[in-house]
Amino acid sequence: MKNFKLDNEPKITSGFTVPDGYFDTFSDRVLVKLPKQEPKVISIFSSKKTWYFAAAAILILMLSIPLYIKYSQNQEELDAATLENYIAYHSTVSEDEIVDLLDKEDLEKMKVEFNLQEEDVEDILSTNTNLEQYITN
Amino acid sequence: MQEEKEFIQELLNPKTQNQAFQKLLRDYQKPLYNQIRNIVLNHDDADDVMQNTFIKVFQYLKDFKGDSKLFSWMYRIATNEAITFLNNKAKRNGTTSEALQSKIVDNLKADTYFDGNEIQIKLQKAIAILPEKQQLVFKMKYFEEIKYEDMSEILGTSVGALKASYHHAVKKIEDFMNSN
Repeated sequence: MKNFKLDNEPKITSGFTVPDGYFDTFSDRVLVKLPKQEPKVISIFSSKKTWYFAAAAILILMLSIPLYIKYSQNQEELDAATLENYIAYHSTVSEDEIVDLLDKEDLEKMKVEFNLQEEDVEDILSTNTNLEQYITN
Repeated sequence: MQEEKEFIQELLNPKTQNQAFQKLLRDYQKPLYNQIRNIVLNHDDADDVMQNTFIKVFQYLKDFKGDSKLFSWMYRIATNEAITFLNNKAKRNGTTSEALQSKIVDNLKADTYFDGNEIQIKLQKAIAILPEKQQLVFKMKYFEEIKYEDMSEILGTSVGALKASYHHAVKKIEDFMNSN
């Protein structure tokens, strides 16, 4: 073959052919081989997430039990103090009324014991000249 | 380009993925097959490379930056896969890629999926002895009629260099055809 010029020749094809229906079935074949797709991965992941959340919620609840107990006790103590202050400063309850409410036991508790020795009495009397006057009068 | 971005989003969204991937296959399987077949020459090998190519496309789509056309990006994957396949096959057979190609071309006549006469076989023989880059450029330009601009994006070579490669390839092929 002399003076072969590619441009002068009729177009030469590659000559390659494919089996009948190759392209019709190729997509199905390749789709089966694709690595498993996202949705499943996400579903496994999300169920895992739910478990994490559940575990976290239980943990928080468990940790909060001692806190709750401690806090609720604190509140009781606080209440007593507040009540006392309220009665002392803001209430219209008179002293007599409070005394009426106190029973024998309360009074026992409030009793202050004085173990007075004679020497102490003398000592007080000698240093407090006014007292002598009160007594004699 | 905007349309292509939406299409890529569909491919990445698990809900629309399946349908979008089928469209991708419908649109691109033929040109990609031709590119691969022109490199590996044999249908069964081309089929293997095709599957690997689309699996890779599927796997790496999330990393596709969109700085080139989707088609060019897929073409590049197909080309690399085909060349790697040919080199690995040559290595397994203890020979070079060039020698392997010449051997395949010699056996083309017996290939069920080759429908060509003497001149087509002769052209394949002439191509088989070209350097790898010139082979690629010649096949893409002459058989597939891909524009130099697109080829430049696929192969990462300047248009000028591609034109020069094609010119050299044509010259060598014509010399081969005249002397044999």
